[in-house]
Amino acid sequence: MNSAGEDWEEAAAEAVREASRQGRAVSAAEVLEALAARGFDVTSPDAGEKAEAALRAHAGLACFAGADGAARYHDPALLSATYAGIMDRKASPTLLMAEEIRANSREYPRPVPVELFEAEPFGLTPEQIGDALRAMAENPAFEDIAFTATSTGAVYLFSSRSLEPGYAKFLAEHAQNLAMNP
Amino acid sequence: MASATGGFAGKVLRVDLSTGAVSTESTVERYLDVLGGTGIGYRVLWDEVPAGTGAFDPANKIVFATGVLAGTGVPCNGRTAVTTIFPTCWPKPLVGSGHMGGQFAAKLKYAGYDALIVEGKADRPVWISIRNSQVQIRDARGLWGEGIRRATLEISREMGGECAVAAIGQAGEKLAPMAIVANSVSHSAGGVGGVMGSKNLKAVAVQGDGAVRLAGDKGEWERLVKFHLSILGGNNQHVVPSFPTPQSEYYNPGSRWVGEPGRRWGAAEPPVEITGNIRDLNRIAYRTNSAAFYLGANAWQYTVRGNGCTGCPIRCHTIVKVPSVAAKYGVGEMGQNTCAGLLFGRGFFRKLAAGDKSHTSLEACMLGMHLADDLGLWCNYGQLQRDLIKLYYDGTLKAKLGAKEYDSIPWDKYESGDPAFLLDMIPRIANRQGELGAVLSQGTAGLFTAWSITERDWSQDKETAYWKMGHPKHHANEDDGQCGVIINTQYNRDAQCHSHVNFVRNGLPLAVQKRLAAETWGSPEAVDAVGDYTPANVYKARRAKWALIRKELHDSLGLCNWMGPWVASPLKERDYGGDDSLESKFFSLATGLKTNREELDRMGERIFVLHRALTQRDMGEPDLRSRHDTVPDWVFKDANGAAPFSKGTTRMDREDIAKAMDLFYEVMDWDRATGAPTMEAYARLGLQDVGRRMQALKLTPGTRG
Amino acid sequence: MDRDFDITRIREAARAAGMGEALSRRGFLLLSASTAAAVTALGLCEALGADAPLVILDNAKGMILADPTRCVGCQRCELACVEYNEGRSQPSLARIKISRSLNFGPGGPGGAQGAWGNGLVVQGVCRQCPHPVPCATACPNDAIRLDPATGARVVDGQACVGCKLCQRSCPWNMLVFDEETQKTTKCFLCGGSPKCVEACPADALRYVPWRDTTREAPARAASLSLITPEKTASCLECHVPGRPGTVTK
Repeated sequence: MNSAGEDWEEAAAEAVREASRQGRAVSAAEVLEALAARGFDVTSPDAGEKAEAALRAHAGLACFAGADGAARYHDPALLSATYAGIMDRKASPTLLMAEEIRANSREYPRPVPVELFEAEPFGLTPEQIGDALRAMAENPAFEDIAFTATSTGAVYLFSSRSLEPGYAKFLAEHAQNLAMNP
Repeated sequence: MASATGGFAGKVLRVDLSTGAVSTESTVERYLDVLGGTGIGYRVLWDEVPAGTGAFDPANKIVFATGVLAGTGVPCNGRTAVTTIFPTCWPKPLVGSGHMGGQFAAKLKYAGYDALIVEGKADRPVWISIRNSQVQIRDARGLWGEGIRRATLEISREMGGECAVAAIGQAGEKLAPMAIVANSVSHSAGGVGGVMGSKNLKAVAVQGDGAVRLAGDKGEWERLVKFHLSILGGNNQHVVPSFPTPQSEYYNPGSRWVGEPGRRWGAAEPPVEITGNIRDLNRIAYRTNSAAFYLGANAWQYTVRGNGCTGCPIRCHTIVKVPSVAAKYGVGEMGQNTCAGLLFGRGFFRKLAAGDKSHTSLEACMLGMHLADDLGLWCNYGQLQRDLIKLYYDGTLKAKLGAKEYDSIPWDKYESGDPAFLLDMIPRIANRQGELGAVLSQGTAGLFTAWSITERDWSQDKETAYWKMGHPKHHANEDDGQCGVIINTQYNRDAQCHSHVNFVRNGLPLAVQKRLAAETWGSPEAVDAVGDYTPANVYKARRAKWALIRKELHDSLGLCNWMGPWVASPLKERDYGGDDSLESKFFSLATGLKTNREELDRMGERIFVLHRALTQRDMGEPDLRSRHDTVPDWVFKDANGAAPFSKGTTRMDREDIAKAMDLFYEVMDWDRATGAPTMEAYARLGLQDVGRRMQALKLTPGTRG
Repeated sequence: MDRDFDITRIREAARAAGMGEALSRRGFLLLSASTAAAVTALGLCEALGADAPLVILDNAKGMILADPTRCVGCQRCELACVEYNEGRSQPSLARIKISRSLNFGPGGPGGAQGAWGNGLVVQGVCRQCPHPVPCATACPNDAIRLDPATGARVVDGQACVGCKLCQRSCPWNMLVFDEETQKTTKCFLCGGSPKCVEACPADALRYVPWRDTTREAPARAASLSLITPEKTASCLECHVPGRPGTVTK
């Protein structure tokens, strides 16, 4: 408890919820910072472990591995895993695009129009997108990332791990035609 | 069945334009078993319009019918079905319905009527004035020749500004089969305008002040309405937004739920910015912007607001204001419509210089709406535009039209994608000028009859999107494999069914769709990923049956089949499930007639089978399977030669489609060989009288000579 | 009609009702919780007589504020108003007004607003007028009274005789006559959680603390206020002819 008599675990969960409301998933380290600011003693050497355990055990919270490998916590009722992941990867346009392309190809499945990444919440500039695509082309870790163009010239991106090029091309054409097939 | 104490307005109004007689009958006593809407329409045609009646014969009747839930607070009501012998149906006219939203349905209910049957033919132009119990046939000679806008204005001056006016324009007056009737600016029913014209009926105007009674407890009603609101998505029940958001696990760039926080109704004064939580029920109206969906994000700046039908929170008729178009082309600066109506002008051009989402495209759409919704010209779901493109580029027009007429058309503007071309072309067709106007205003049927083009020329060519009987596909194999094909075989016009496509396009991941499919239709195999089709199975046939029944149910309850059914929802806490029994719950509460999903579906099936019998009777054809339920050749082709069931093709396999039809006829309890409903099916659905008549006509299975 | 009593007690009551010095002397039948209590404590009811004509109503506490630029013309507010209160679907009976402005705006056919004009739909909402409340003053049967919870001016269905004079007195045409009950009805703020506000899918309606908006929007129609002689006399007890703003002593 802190001096205000607040429960440690609940305060940690509230710190996660507060970040979720702002559209961010947070690491245990960030949670400890928030707790310290609220007057909790977080100096013990096992404070980090304790926080991780408490957050993991909390029924209302979810976690995923962040871009840096550390766990990120969020309240899925306030912040979806999809959105949290996007925000977490924003610092690296390459990773941001690749993971989003892969998730779309895997789950729905579908290729995504390249313009998607210009819009919010991605908010990348055409230059950033171009740079990221070049970086992916040169890096074997992203060799699954591919593109296809529709008959009208629209570019769609997909992951060959989940989508065959021919099918991706079909789906891109289909998506492009939706607005002409009311 | 116990007597209904709510939902129904109570009366069906009948106006005989030949004699001037006005009468009413009890809706519940006479039409309860067919609910309303298309149900009443089919029943009236079955009982009262003899086989062989032409669309423009005085003996044809036109039935404006809405349903139990119209005029209430049930989300997504407001629909009127307009059923008649349909003039664009080829080679002979058969039953068909146009469907319109707007304010007409609610006003008709408040005036005390569930339906209006118009029969006979007036000896001079007239309009029908309905003010509650006062019904008058009024002189319309002064309105004849006017567009829909002016006719509406003049009539509104007489009736008062609150009335709903459903009027035809010049196209309908000139008996163009490709004519609409429209109310509330942009809400039109296609194909029926010429039938009104043939009766010298310019308009029907309604002002109603009364109530639609609700039989059930008002608290229960309020809770159910709020529940329904909670499971709504955006337009067409796309349940995921088009953008990632903290409030949603899923998104789909192709979703019609485009109202992202930060977007603005830029032409509102002052502009309105979308803020807050996209799931907020007080912000549902911001989810949909048809202009932005069809014309790209640029359209937000021209958006004034969303508009739509009575009681619908999904405002799909986006109002836009584009002063530059007004200045450039000398037309009004305001425009509003959705889907095919919004795209009316753009659809004429094979290619627009800067693409489909350019400013030129917006200009073409504005001109198209301005002209078509005033002249009252129909597009036959884009077939008119596709036909013109094909006829021009393959040289047919040059060959068929006289040089003088051909040269009078500004083809240079057409080729360069100049929207000004529409200022010539749309009035030319609507006013039926010259040979081109006379032929194209008949729809695709006109090409087959006047220019001896064969149907095969069209049904071979995928680019035409032509399906059969003068009409195009409407969400067929390109969206939903065999399910889409089955549905597209069933009507005498384009299928107008959205039950199936609203599900497959809802934006949820395939695994979620399959789970919901298993819950609703018995197996995950009821649905495929688009373009990754598996062979036909009984679950797909069941889903097709469900889709068709729900379409007829919605058309007969006054609900919108462009929004329903509600099998899926945006709610993670419901595992993205909606509620497939919603219609029956509302029906029970509104009418006081306790029913459930299965019972109400049986009523929907009865209505659908009545349409089937009517079609068969008027065709005089024992074998609907090969003579009616046809599939165009292009469905069995692939431009790249891909085999059916290979990933990335919508090509279907003939044998598999034959099997799909077998399965469909089986689940319908129809004869597999002929596709004709069996006597058992008629009996099961309470249509013994229809069955006996069909048997007497030797149109039931096993009665062929 | 000479009911002589201490003017200071009237002034106190007027202040308690938020009406300041502009009027006093007599004329209260205050039904709001706070001022009713003040009136009782001051013994005014006794002083005025229990059957004194209803002239002054305490100000409302809340009101509905409508933003026309957000209205999408769906009429869900009208439907909620009647369905959730009366249990039937009847926009003509709604105590918020959309239908009449939907097509052409308040100007009627040829008007520049509505779906046939510039798209704007100006919602009609009850302003919960301050004293003198036109509908309440016009009522010959004192059937329009104050809801203690919200200060809304509400029609007492028991007392309403269905004469429609209140309808004719409202400058904004906000009262509606229910043919079924043969009574008038008007916005009663749903006891403090208005159904219309909850039902709006475009966030165009808000329930906010009351303030006087009666001078901010032009009247829809010239109003006809027929006031009974007793009420006129009540007015004159506070307001001296020829000396506006003053009170008799």
